[in-house]
Amino acid sequence: MALKGLDIFKMSPKKNCKECGVPTCMAFCMKVAQGSVSIDKCPYFSEEAKAMLNEQTAPPMKTITVGGHKLGGETVLYRHEKTLVNKNLFAVCVCTDCSAEKVEKKLADLQKVDYERINERMYVEFVFVSNKQSDPAVYAELVKKAAATGRSLVLECWDVACAEAALAVAGKNCILDGATPENWEGMNALAVKSGVTLGVWAENLSDLYDTVKKLEAKGNRNLILDVTAATAKETLKNAVLVRRTALRDGDRTFGYPSIVNVAKLAKGDDRLQTAYASMFIEKYASIIVMGNMRYAQALPLYGLRQNIYTDPQKPMKVEAKIYPINGADENSPCALTVDFALTYFLVSGELERSGQPVNLIITDASGMSVLTAWAAGKLSATTIQKTFQTLDVENKIKNRTLIIPGKVAVLKGEIQEKLPGWNVVVGPQEAIQLPRYMRDREYEAAAKAAAGNAAAVEQEQQELTFTELLEKKVPRIELMDMGVSYKGRNPASRAFTVIGERIHCIAPAIRKAMDERDPKPILERAAQQIAAGANYLDVNIGPAEKDGPERMIWAVKLLQENFNNVPLVLDTANKRAIEAGIRVYNRTHGKPVVNSADAGSRIDYIDLAAANDAICIALCSADGIARDNEERMKHCHNMLERGLALGMTSDDLWFDPLFLVVKGMQDKQMEVLQAIKLFSDEGLKSTGGLSNNSNGAPKAVRPVMDSALIAMCMMQGLTSAIVNPNDKRLMETIKSCDIFLNHVLYSDSYLDV
Amino acid sequence: MAFTPKTAACSGRINAVTLGTGDAAIVLGGQNVLPFHTFDGPIENPPKIGVEISDLADAWTAPGLVDFYAGCSTMAQRAQKAASMAGADFLALNFEGADPNGANRPVSHCVADAVAVAEAVNLPIVIMGCKNMEKDAELFTKISEALQGKNILVMSAKNEDYKTVGAAAALAYGQKVCAETADDINLAKQLNIMLKQLSVKPEQLVMNIGTAAVGYGYEYVASTLDRIRLAALTQGDADLQMPIIAPVSTDTWTVKESSATEEDEPAWGNAEERAIHMEISTAAANLTGGADAVILRHPAAVAAVSKFIAELI
Repeated sequence: MALKGLDIFKMSPKKNCKECGVPTCMAFCMKVAQGSVSIDKCPYFSEEAKAMLNEQTAPPMKTITVGGHKLGGETVLYRHEKTLVNKNLFAVCVCTDCSAEKVEKKLADLQKVDYERINERMYVEFVFVSNKQSDPAVYAELVKKAAATGRSLVLECWDVACAEAALAVAGKNCILDGATPENWEGMNALAVKSGVTLGVWAENLSDLYDTVKKLEAKGNRNLILDVTAATAKETLKNAVLVRRTALRDGDRTFGYPSIVNVAKLAKGDDRLQTAYASMFIEKYASIIVMGNMRYAQALPLYGLRQNIYTDPQKPMKVEAKIYPINGADENSPCALTVDFALTYFLVSGELERSGQPVNLIITDASGMSVLTAWAAGKLSATTIQKTFQTLDVENKIKNRTLIIPGKVAVLKGEIQEKLPGWNVVVGPQEAIQLPRYMRDREYEAAAKAAAGNAAAVEQEQQELTFTELLEKKVPRIELMDMGVSYKGRNPASRAFTVIGERIHCIAPAIRKAMDERDPKPILERAAQQIAAGANYLDVNIGPAEKDGPERMIWAVKLLQENFNNVPLVLDTANKRAIEAGIRVYNRTHGKPVVNSADAGSRIDYIDLAAANDAICIALCSADGIARDNEERMKHCHNMLERGLALGMTSDDLWFDPLFLVVKGMQDKQMEVLQAIKLFSDEGLKSTGGLSNNSNGAPKAVRPVMDSALIAMCMMQGLTSAIVNPNDKRLMETIKSCDIFLNHVLYSDSYLDV
Repeated sequence: MAFTPKTAACSGRINAVTLGTGDAAIVLGGQNVLPFHTFDGPIENPPKIGVEISDLADAWTAPGLVDFYAGCSTMAQRAQKAASMAGADFLALNFEGADPNGANRPVSHCVADAVAVAEAVNLPIVIMGCKNMEKDAELFTKISEALQGKNILVMSAKNEDYKTVGAAAALAYGQKVCAETADDINLAKQLNIMLKQLSVKPEQLVMNIGTAAVGYGYEYVASTLDRIRLAALTQGDADLQMPIIAPVSTDTWTVKESSATEEDEPAWGNAEERAIHMEISTAAANLTGGADAVILRHPAAVAAVSKFIAELI
């Protein structure tokens, strides 16, 4: 395994002395792993540790670059374990046995397959030039022809003299696939002299292993292993064992990319060749050599390769642009949705089924689904306006009807304002309803109605000052006796901090109450949570682009004035709303909490929190879920450094590892737990939406899962969580864990207090 | 230091499930190694190939397919022809014509077709439904009843209808049932558990864990296959040790790569050849990932995949 920052950290002095100029040892080790700081900056690392580091920083499998193509560099055997990195590349073979006409045709044909599929160029990257005779001039002639295609080359040649002649005409972008247990010394000298990658082949794996050892002893680590055997069965065995030995057993002698010649195995049977190539795409060939490559083979093979090498940790996104469907032109209406690939495929499929011409506008939403993107502020009137500007929709389309997803009907008015002249209509809730909706042309009537209203909406929008806002826009706060009051909390207490999650505008009742400024549903939920022992209440007002500030002011005042200044977590994608909320916030029972910053586009929430002396929840992700704890901790330290530089104390940053759903990411749960331990070891506070783990699980099971996880998390040092305090089992677990952690003194009635 | 590969069979084993009767009976599964990992241990039952015969096969236009079935007008005649393919281990009768939103063939006609096939050929029979939950429930029940003793497999019992399908096909008539889920390892396990709780025996169960043509979200299929096989073999998870069957042809023949005519896509060349390669590639990928059986349509694909399996075992 490659040595990571966390492994280096284990050997570090763990003094946090800052002599290296970095706030913590952990942060320093991360920088060493990234290569941005030399380990010598630390005066306390032992010489032994340094030597070991140099030995171990080598990756388990080398990445070899040929002609700009990367080969190998894999760290896992299965894509679900992390991701596969460097896709298989394809070669077509020509041979000195072929007639000149055949060579010419093959070289011409292989260039005919060249197309794009979902942002990826699909073509034959290599020509595999096979030598079967002993005249150097003959081989060099063939190599010259192959090189004229401009593709990179694999020179399969076991004759040193022929190889030398070939290298003279082949250029730099080639692999000399020529070392065997017999000729390795001569071939090695040639490859090293020419600076090209050396391919190694042997009759069996044992000889291959020995030959690689000998080449490595000569200092050559620019190698690729040709694992092709006499049969497909034997070749699969070689490919699997070589990769398994390197990645599972950690033996770097086999840590090189591989070549599989399926043309040799298929013996002219093109269909069998497709079957073999499909297998070796999945099972570990870095270069697959084909006898030929026509579209019939390319379409499935490149499609399969593209699928297998998709990073399972990244949301599948499609490009944000205008997709004309069913022959749509500038006079066809527009429909809009997000760039999450599955949403796109579903919506475009249903629109196609409708038979109606329509321009599908895909807007950048970081690959999230419609509702998730809306809640995260990635699908809003502003982001849509930005998309319209970037794509120049205004000038490209004359029709002025814009259909938006039914799930974000709430955005209609705001979009209407941001896109003057457009008639915004609300489409159906589900994609499957689209064909009927489009065929019945429901949107036409709606567009007319929208056009009528648009005139009325176009009154001047005036920026109000804070005082004006407070006076004119925020309704009088009603005081209602809910029978509970917030009791306060000892600031020195080490007991777990429970943030109540139930005032969230994804809940329809809360959304409605927020829209109508109806205090009762909000106060009821607040009262229930406080009575159950919540220490903080999360207040999610939604993205609230338009009236965010007045909404937040109202919510903050409503909750604090009714419940003895209960401390709040202000949760929205609208920064102005958070600022406005903090201005009316009463700090009697603690600072306000800003939810949330991340290490990507929301990093400036840290600035916002710092400027307002607030606590900030810092989500350890940037664009999507962090790959591993290495990345999680990198994000953590980026945010920590930023906060400290702005004068925050480390206690004011609560790090969120991002809890992942068990149904789908079961194998990542331990990583999240380990991340919490890492925060805790550095003395950092932590929190997060823990109940996400049990999303989609049966109602009866969720409290059990949440309770078990919170116990494990508290063992790891989690200091807070955003949860449902009205989950009795969960609250009892938290209180019990606080007893065992010795954070609360035991009494027989500890569950009741 | 000589190289000695670390090879070993796994602690878990895939269930062996028998389909059909007599000499033509086949066994799916039974191995305790990863797909084609013969170097880790022997594979007693090589993966099997089923030939798809649709009740709407008259609409098939690929010239090679039309030629192959020339003169056949009934499912039974096509079944006899299909059984003559080298490499055909079982027949998959696809009653897509039963769909109420399509041809809406009556269940009685479908049953008569299935009975006629069973009389005409002795290969094991797999029944594919029309994807309409209510119609399929009736179809599976009636065919299971009519072919009692033939040890057929019905595709499929889903989360929504497993009780009906499981009770009728497996419990009442002793047939085999395929538990179908869509690229979701947790649901695949859950459905097997629920079928077992219904008293369906593990050796009566196979799985369809989700399908896709290569290029069309196949990564979800690939990773689900990997994870299920690793759980079954290396963790010994008995609720995931059912053999896996992958209906390939129904996905691969509809995608653009197979269906676009040569006029539409002149550079792509012959459409039938493209469809054959799509079928072969998707089948090979499924077999490499862990499928114990694939269902194919074209005789050329059956021949190639059969050779592929033979070479690797």
